[in-house]
Order: sequence, then C-alpha cells, then structure tokens
Amino acid sequence: MVAKTSADVVIVGTGVVGVVIAEQLLDAGHSVLMIEAGPRVTRAEVVENWRNAPLSVKGDTSVAYPPRPWAPHPTGAEKPEDAYLQLRGPDSYGQTFIRYAGGSTWHWAGTSWRMTPEDMRLNSLYGVGRDWAFDYDTLEPYYVRTENKLGICGPADPAQQWPARRSAPYPMPELPFSPGEVRFTEIAKTLGYNNIPVTQARNSGIPYDGRPACCANNNCVPVCPVAAKYDAETALNRLEKKGATILVDSVVYQVETNAQNKIEAVSYFDQHKQSHRISGKLFVLACNGLENPKLLLMSKNDRNPNGVANSSDQVGRNMMDHPQLTLTVTTKEPFWSGVGPVVNSGIMETSQGDFRSQHAGAYFRYNNFARNRFVTFAALKKGLVGKALDAEIRRMTACTADIVAAHEVLPDANNRLTLSEKTDWLGLPKPSIYYDVGDYTRRSAEVYSLPIAKRIAEAMGAIDVKISPKFNQSKHIMGGTIMGNDAATSVVDADCRAHDHENLFIPGGGAMASTACGNSTITMVALAIKAGDAIVSQMRGA
Amino acid sequence: MKFIQSLAVIAPLALAPTLMPAVVSAQEYSKGLIDKGRYLATASDCVACHTNHAGGKPMAGGLAMASPVGTIVSTNITPSKAFGIGNYSEPEFADAVRKGVRADGANLYPAMPYVSYAVMSDDDIHALYAYFMQGVEPVDEKAPDTSLPFPMNIRASMMGWNMLFRPSGPLADDPKQSAEWNRGRYLAEGAAHCSTCHTPRGALMQEQKSRHLSGGQVGAWYAPDITNDKVHGIGSWSQEDLVTYLKTGRLDHRAQAAGSMAEAISYSFQHLTEADLNAIATYVRSVPSSDPTAVSSMTRFDRGEADNNLSGFRGKGFAAGIKGDHSGAQIFTANCASCHGFNAQGTTDGYYPSLFHNAATAGDNSVNLISAILNGVDRHTQDGHVFMPPFGDEANAVVSLDNVQVASLANYILRDYGNIKLTVNPEDVQVVRDGGPRSNIVTLARIGIAAGAVVLVAVLLLVGLLVRGRRKVADLKST
Repeated sequence: MVAKTSADVVIVGTGVVGVVIAEQLLDAGHSVLMIEAGPRVTRAEVVENWRNAPLSVKGDTSVAYPPRPWAPHPTGAEKPEDAYLQLRGPDSYGQTFIRYAGGSTWHWAGTSWRMTPEDMRLNSLYGVGRDWAFDYDTLEPYYVRTENKLGICGPADPAQQWPARRSAPYPMPELPFSPGEVRFTEIAKTLGYNNIPVTQARNSGIPYDGRPACCANNNCVPVCPVAAKYDAETALNRLEKKGATILVDSVVYQVETNAQNKIEAVSYFDQHKQSHRISGKLFVLACNGLENPKLLLMSKNDRNPNGVANSSDQVGRNMMDHPQLTLTVTTKEPFWSGVGPVVNSGIMETSQGDFRSQHAGAYFRYNNFARNRFVTFAALKKGLVGKALDAEIRRMTACTADIVAAHEVLPDANNRLTLSEKTDWLGLPKPSIYYDVGDYTRRSAEVYSLPIAKRIAEAMGAIDVKISPKFNQSKHIMGGTIMGNDAATSVVDADCRAHDHENLFIPGGGAMASTACGNSTITMVALAIKAGDAIVSQMRGA
Repeated sequence: MKFIQSLAVIAPLALAPTLMPAVVSAQEYSKGLIDKGRYLATASDCVACHTNHAGGKPMAGGLAMASPVGTIVSTNITPSKAFGIGNYSEPEFADAVRKGVRADGANLYPAMPYVSYAVMSDDDIHALYAYFMQGVEPVDEKAPDTSLPFPMNIRASMMGWNMLFRPSGPLADDPKQSAEWNRGRYLAEGAAHCSTCHTPRGALMQEQKSRHLSGGQVGAWYAPDITNDKVHGIGSWSQEDLVTYLKTGRLDHRAQAAGSMAEAISYSFQHLTEADLNAIATYVRSVPSSDPTAVSSMTRFDRGEADNNLSGFRGKGFAAGIKGDHSGAQIFTANCASCHGFNAQGTTDGYYPSLFHNAATAGDNSVNLISAILNGVDRHTQDGHVFMPPFGDEANAVVSLDNVQVASLANYILRDYGNIKLTVNPEDVQVVRDGGPRSNIVTLARIGIAAGAVVLVAVLLLVGLLVRGRRKVADLKST
C-alpha cells in the first residue's frame, strides 16, 4: 500500500463537520484524507463501556469514551490541576467533548433547533453582540440539506415548528411525547407557553438512510446503541467505501504555511510520538471548537506571529456556549419521564423578544432522561432496604423532574482560549480558557429565566425545587474562530474560509457569531455544507 | 398512449422493416385487461428482480443477483423498443415467459423462473402482455449485460437443460380437488413460483421434484421446508397463520420473512387478494413431505426460552468479555439486546421478534441466522418498514462483526435460544458472507469440457500423426 502522505483535501477531525464535508468532496471526485487524533472503536465497545460502568459514574460521558494518552479530553475523574482544560475566570468553561473517530456526536442528544432570522441579527435589532455575515434566508437551504443529511425529524404543523420559516418539510415526523412531557406541555399551556417537539437527528419510527428506527433505549447520551440517532461514526464506513483515507491515533500539532501564506501541510504525532507530514491542495480544520483555535495558536510562525489565521487576533476569543440552570423539581403527582429520547420537547418562544436589548433569552425544556439513575443514591441515603427502597426509587423516578433553562451568551473577546504552560502526554500545550458568562446572561437569570422556570415548577405542583447554584455548560462550543465580513475583526469569511489563507477552511461552531438558545450542531453542519460547496467550487477552479 | 402506439407502428417500419415482428401491439388493450396483467405481474413478482431497487426505474432491470454460478444482471422488461421488450410480439413474449427463450432465439438462464411460469394459461399470458406493453412506462436505458464464467456464458447450453427440466405446459385442474385448491396450485406453482426457492436443487441446478418444497438454499439465505410436515415443514400452521404470514411477513413468536422472502412479501404477496392468498395457503398446506417425520417432536417454531448470561461478564469490561467463555453473550448484549431485549424476548408488538420460538434461530440449519446477522432484514408491508441493520461488510453496518465474532454470537443464540444441535464455525460465516455456497456445476462443466478436450486433443493428435504420416509420405515423394 502506498503511504498516505497527501490528498487533494486534508481534513483534520472526523466529527460531523469533517465527515459531511468529506462526503461532499468525495462525491465531487476529490481525494480526501482525514486525520483523527483519537481511536476508532466499535459501537459495541462504547455501549458496553457504559453498561459496565457503575451507576455512580454513568453521568460522566467519558466513562464510555476513555481518552487515549495522546489524545486527552475532559473526564469527570480528572483533578483540576491535572485537567486537560485549564479553566480560569468567574465561570467554568468546563466542556465535554471526545477525541474519537466520529467525534462528539457520539454522545450528543440529537437536538437540532435552527436559528431564527432574529438570532442572526442581534446587533441591528437589539444593539448587542454581532450580526452574522449573512441572513437567515442565506442559511436556510443549508439547514434543509442538513436535515436531510442527518435525518432530522420534526413536525409538519407550522404552529409546532421552530422557526416556521422553512422551505421544505422534515424528512420524518416528530416523535411522540413521554407521559411526563404530555403533562408538562399541558401545564406550560396554562402559563401561555407552547412546549413543542424537539427537532432531532433521530429516526422517528421509521428507518432512514440505512439506519434503524429509534427503539427508545433512552440512552442517547452517551451513545445510541443502535445508531437510530445520527452520529458521525455512522458515516465512516461509507466514506471509506467512497475512497476516503482515515488516519486515526494521529494528533495534528502544526499547520504549515508557505511563502504565499497558503497552507502547505499539516504535521501530526502518531501514538509512538513519531512525527509525520501530510501535504494537500486544501485544508479543513474540523477538530472541534476548542482544538481548532488551539491548533491555530500552536502553529504560529514568522509570517503569522499570532498564530495561523490570526491576523485579527480573534482566534481563541469569543468562546461561547449555552449557560444553563437546572431546577430539580419534586412533585406530588407522578410525571414519568424516560419514554423515548432523552431530550424530546422544549419551549423556544421564550428565546425571542425585544428584551434581548437588555438581557439574554432562554429555552426551557423538561429533560426526558429516565430518572431512576439520578434518584437511586438519594433513596439509598435514606437508609431504606428491600421493597421500601424499590418503592422509594419508583416514587422519586416518577415524581422528580429536571427543568433546564438554556441561555444565549454574547461574544466577548475576553472569553478567551490561550495556550497553557501545562502540557499533555505528547508535550503539546493544554488549552487554557478564561470565561465569564457576562451580565447579559446573568441578568436574564435574575429577571427573566429563573422567574419563568419557578412559575412553571409551581404550576407543576412542586413540593421541592432545587436550583443549580451556578451556570453549567451545555457543551456547545462556539465562537473561537468567529465569522465575519471584516478580516480585521473576524477569523473566517462567510464560507468559513480563513481570511488569511485562501486554502484553509475552519467550519463549524467556532464560526458562529451568535449562539441563540438552541443547540449548535445543526447550524455547525449547515455552515459545513455551505463551506463544502465553496470548497468544491474552489477546487474546480484550482 | 397513442403516441406510444404510433411509435410502435412507425418505428419498426421506418427503421428496420425487415426486423418487424409478425404482430405488433397496434391495438389498445382495455383497462380491465391491463389491470389483470398488472395483478399477475405482481403475483409473479417481476419487479423484485427486474428493478434495481437502489434508485432504478420499475422493470428497467439492472439488479445484480448472486447465483451459484455467478452474478446475473436482470434485464430491462419495460416496453422500450431500444432497450426493453417493446418489439416483442405476444408469441415471443409468451416464449420468453414460459419457455425461457428470447425473441432473438437465445436462451434465458433459469434465474428467470420460466420453469414455474410455464404453467401459466394463454389467457393470463395475454393479460401480462397487455400490461407490459401498455401498463408499464418504457425506460430507454440499457441494463448491464450478464457475463457468467465459461462455460455458463454459452446460453445454448440451456437448450439441453430445458429438454430435461422444463415442464411441457399448463397444469390440468385436478377434479378431485376443490376449485380453491386448484387456483392455489396454479398460483403457487406458476406465478408465485414458490418452488424456485423452496425446492432443493440437484447437481444440474434443477429443482428436485421428488423433494418438492422441502427447503432449498437461495444465495445467502435458506428457503425452509414449507411442506405440511408437522416438524420440519409448516404443518403446525393454521390456514390463517399462513395467510397472515404472506400478508405481513411475520408470525409473532414463529417466523419473519427476510432476504428474498421479504421481497416476495413486500412486492408481491401482500398485494394479492384475500381469496388468492387463501387459495395459495390451501394448496401449500396440502403439499406433503417426501420424507415425513414419523414421530412428532419440537418444531423450529417452539424451541428455546428467555434467558441471559449477563452475570458471566457484566462489570468486567468489554475487552475481557469479548475474549472469555461468554464472548457470544457479550457480543449479543453489545449488538443485539438493545432491540431484541436482554433476554432475547423481543417486544410485545412483535416489531422486534424474540430470538427463541423463532424459525431463524431454530431451523434445521443456521444459514438464516448467520444471514440475518450479516445482511439484516428489510421488509415493506402495510405494517410499515421493518428494518434490521446489517452487521456485515456493508457501509451501514452498525458494527462490522468478523467471522469469528458472528460464529461466536450465532453459537450463543443457537445454544440459549434456538437449535442447540447446530454449531457455526467461521468458515460457515464466510460462505454466507460470499453470498451462499457456489454450485460446483461450473467446475464440473469445466472438468467435463476438459475431459472432452483431452479426448479431442488425443483424437486430433492421432489425426495429426496420420496426416503428418501421409505428408511425410508425400514429402518423400516430392523430394
């Protein structure tokens, strides 16, 4: 076999962004080489890792995906001083992601809310944050392609759609609500809120794209055991059959530029710490919103003293997420979550309004995780045994619920990823992130989101409400390679092409100029498909 | 329609008057006749083979089908004049369907079940012809050619085969049987061509009539015994059971259609009338086994029970589980239990079948168990789209299990849920992975030809020597 040292297009990362672009390029006839830092494992292994894990650590997704020494990612077990992510600032940017072939969609919930037209024009409409480089109608056709590509199910009734402005139907109908969601929806209605079906990358009752229908294992996070939920691993075999080369356990540590300041090659360490160089005509960095800026900063050279693609000094800045607060509610009457997928409905209308000139909007959801895993330890602590213990676990499973308020956050240059002095197993710098969710989001919690959430809890008949003391992270990494039309204030252009390097593309969440309140993956993929079109046409001209 | 008709008349005249068939379908057939033909085409399941289901147009051919003698590609049977059967006269069409002879005189391979269709009546052939000429959209696309290995590529070799194995014509009704039985036999032996798969084949790939419907290998799948034997056949099924199975492709806690039978249910049986399904069931349930089981024992539909082996490996880690004595159970839990249940109990609605009380796991051989694992199940019925993903080499395999893993998994399922007497080894898995056992007919034919060639060479040598001897004489004479 010929050693794989070059291709038309080199893609760093095998997550959803990388595989979607890879398939577009393969279908257009280009050779594609993908480089993955972590291992490639079977779904069987991941499923069993999780099932073998003790109940006490099942909430830590990394138990299903133990990191390899050369490709560390955050785990629940690490001590702060040894942690892969070195966190600073008033709020924790404690993200979860995995460095495995297939990327972090392995453990996403599949939630796929589009942005609204208003979400992309915060500055013009409300005088805060940034406007996008283009409007919603420009992105809309890419949303449609994303929905068909990933197999996103959703309602046909415009009153149940978010947003209703769309040019094509969902490829599959929405999933039915669990008993708890049915109740929650009725209660929300009494307060004037519309709890609508989550549009989600999950095969709703029918097979789609050669993957089976959802059979309601309710362990979408950390892994769909049957691949009914889209994850990028499901594409890897297909990409290889179409001719892609996928290198795994290969950690890219440098992006190399030439005299024209075009990208010439990338270098990676294998698991034996040996360095290899891969050349190509065009490069795509698709290795996650933290790893992309880290790699660009690590690759600084004489021509690019702040790092590759960083003449604007915006690489690693504007780190964003969806800061969330959780209300754990105990009710008198049973609700019963857990039938169907773990996230299955939500109130989105509360993310919109003129109040956004003052504070963030929020999206509320009733989590549909089966509760037994969360309540068992509390039942045990009561000293119960035998049938009494069973009865208490059953009661708490039925009569507790998590209501989550997920907020938007504004891009802030001070929320910044830099290179830590601490290094990982390969000797590469760990990412260091300063993070402050900001007054805009804090104010929402004070005057808007928590008051609404408390009213909902009250309407649910809560006899006890516990509110998370601090903002938690949603693991929706955005902003570190922000998009804009002005090369002086942004890293990539409207096609996710680096302003500084015509043959370097950095698509995905890093490019997002605002967060809205809904999960970011569908927008990341829409941007990836848009970038893929641009790459195909650029390669044709090459 | 008129446009097509006028083309039908003009094209042969204008382009190749000498090739103009004796009768071209100048007349317009009635809707009733075309509909009758459509129904018969459905009963004959033409579309299953003559359509490339990965995006091809109906009846336009192009489906590659593995056969024991090599890959056969189905032909375009739309009324396209350039690439289909648009120039066929009705007698030519009848000969293709019932005798396996193309309009140009070449023989079809019996992958086309003309051996069964041979019993179809002239009236039904007429209706089928009307449908194919005027009820099917012409598709002007060429289906790829079939190229079988030597000597099977010599189509004339089928002439002798036909003399031996092709029935002479329609079946006469059996006056001792009911009209329903006779109708059922006509459909089952003809259009529905049950015996094409369910009757074992002999050394020359002919159906072994003495073992009618007693089970046969079909590519990567095994078409089981459907005689009325209580143990090995489906003698334990009621009339309603069989009709339900033909309509839906499944009988809960007994059997599910996969492979070619899933296609037959999806494209054909579920669309037949209640009366015809009952007729087919009446007849099939009367077909005796050539080797009936003397003593009643457990059937393949009631072996096994709910069980699991989790305590053997849970908590020890996947790497340990996959290596140990419980590897099959570990593979089952990791890959199968999420749908079929930790006890292999399936779901109450039957969408996910139990793996005990299941013909696929408890049959007389393990072919369908292995094939279901490697190829999955794909069936469209009024109940919806039943789909089990594959675990073989496919792009959409949930996990690509290797031969050792499939064997280990299959042995766990057989031991705990199915036919405990069976054992699968990795070589068995490879055979199914390759699309089923290859017929040795090609090898035999080649040996036969080689043997013939040796004789021929010997004769030629002898002749050559004689000639040379004569030449020598002549040479001598000339010098």
